[in-house]
Amino acid sequence: MESKVLKPILAVYVGLFILFLYGPFIVLGILSFQQGPEGGPQFPIIEWSTYWYKHLFGLTPPSRIAPLPVGEALVRSLTLAFMTMVTATVLGVMAAQAFRKRFRGAGIVFYLIVLGMMVPGVLTGLGTSLLANNVVGVERHWWSTAFLAHVVYTFPFAFLVMLAILNRFDGSVEEASWSLGVSPMTTFRKVTFPLIFPGVLSAMLFAFTLSFDEFPRTLFASGRDQTLPLAIYGTFSVEIHPNIFAFGVMTTLFSFALLAVYGILMGLSVRRAKKMAMQEDIA
Amino acid sequence: MTATSRNRQKKTTFRLLAPGVVWMILFLIAPIMMIVYVSFWTQTTFAINSTLTLDSWKNFFASEAYVGALWTTIRLWLIVLTLTFVIGYPAALYVGLMVKSKTISTVLLVLCVIPFWTSFLIRVLAWRPMLGKEGAINIILQKLGLIQTPIEVLLFSELSVIIGMTQIYVVFMVGPIAFMLGRIDHNIIEAARDLGAGFGRIFWKIIFPLSLPGVVVGAIFVSVMVLGEFATSGALSGRKVNLLGNIIVTQVGSLKWAMASVVGVILTILLGIVVAGFLRIVDLKREI
Repeated sequence: MESKVLKPILAVYVGLFILFLYGPFIVLGILSFQQGPEGGPQFPIIEWSTYWYKHLFGLTPPSRIAPLPVGEALVRSLTLAFMTMVTATVLGVMAAQAFRKRFRGAGIVFYLIVLGMMVPGVLTGLGTSLLANNVVGVERHWWSTAFLAHVVYTFPFAFLVMLAILNRFDGSVEEASWSLGVSPMTTFRKVTFPLIFPGVLSAMLFAFTLSFDEFPRTLFASGRDQTLPLAIYGTFSVEIHPNIFAFGVMTTLFSFALLAVYGILMGLSVRRAKKMAMQEDIA
Repeated sequence: MTATSRNRQKKTTFRLLAPGVVWMILFLIAPIMMIVYVSFWTQTTFAINSTLTLDSWKNFFASEAYVGALWTTIRLWLIVLTLTFVIGYPAALYVGLMVKSKTISTVLLVLCVIPFWTSFLIRVLAWRPMLGKEGAINIILQKLGLIQTPIEVLLFSELSVIIGMTQIYVVFMVGPIAFMLGRIDHNIIEAARDLGAGFGRIFWKIIFPLSLPGVVVGAIFVSVMVLGEFATSGALSGRKVNLLGNIIVTQVGSLKWAMASVVGVILTILLGIVVAGFLRIVDLKREI
């Protein structure tokens, strides 16, 4: 049978494919331990050291290489990602909740929302800054214009995640609650929301990470004060040093920490749901 | 359902949708309209005013550099799209169809997604020490004795942009295809096999057609992202490769908002044609 030959070949291929995905990152990780401050961002490794990590935190004696301007940028990016996460998730949950009922114009509204993730960042960014500059006449800031553009981008993701969750949602528990005379708002808070919470968590994770790493929209729509991706972009034009690689490793670790928090919260909510199901069984 | 309760439900739907819809109209549709509008404005040295003119449009088509950027964008898009498909499909075939255990296929997909947790810009930058004259690939090839002198065209060329973009976007092709392949009922393949069909025939008659919606979704993702790119080409080509996105960035940098808008409109039209073209191949609404 051909598939007996094909399967191992494809398995090897997938191995190579994953190596292709990870290759640059492995190189980046290795080079982040380059000797400093003389060692450049290339092979060979002169001597293994954690110089560039210390450099990142300002723990090295001053040298000709300026520290990365990431401190304030990091705070801005985190704040922006948090604001975006809350807004996009609320909008996403609301819109997806509306889509559980049939209504006229559903197709148009669906495409309008999904358009936000399809239009390239250059265009949203350019258009938003044009509008701010020439029509409204406001200055651009990361917390105003860039925030608006970030929500345009992340709201569709939150919406689609919630739509997928609500599609599999059993509406009879809500009906039971209503028929017992509980108001729709309380029903949503006490019944629906705990059940869709894993979805909400995923939507939040999407919105946060996408906004945290967002670059093209921010480039145009934010003003003078840089967010993290803009600060990294700034180092592109000048000479690069291994400190940017060390920084890359750090951000990845940060992402994993975030992912771990998500995993823990998810685990807790699943366990709680199981517990509730068990109590029901007993009752 | 009574008329009043239907009315109430309509009201609820409206209230739930209004904030999101208003947000998208004000901050997505209006900005795009604004780009179209400003592309007809008059550009003076450092400012623009709303006197309507076709000057910027004429300038675009009169300039070899700008029209060249349009062709470069289309060429790079076609190359990267083809590469992501050719490289991604076999991987998706394995992950989505060949692997019997759901756990392993999930693990493989997660492995593909993990690199996305590193900043996009740093992932782009990571190709520099990989492809450079003294980069990892040249060192390995020299150690293996395959080449004598380092290959210089690897970095700061169109090739490096293609390699970088392919690596960054190939996962967007693998994901949707693997998803569609995972939904194929194995009984169909069994049945075809029992009837004596070889793998080639099964692939072309059953597997590929059923995975086509995934290919289209992946192609749309990759196209949208590659056509709107400017960071990868900026960082890996040493400013030698100029895409439409790069032109927009430099024009905005020198406050030439009208020209940036013209390029923006052209990019929007290009995207519209590409996406509409893909959507003609399969009716996505019916598939989902």
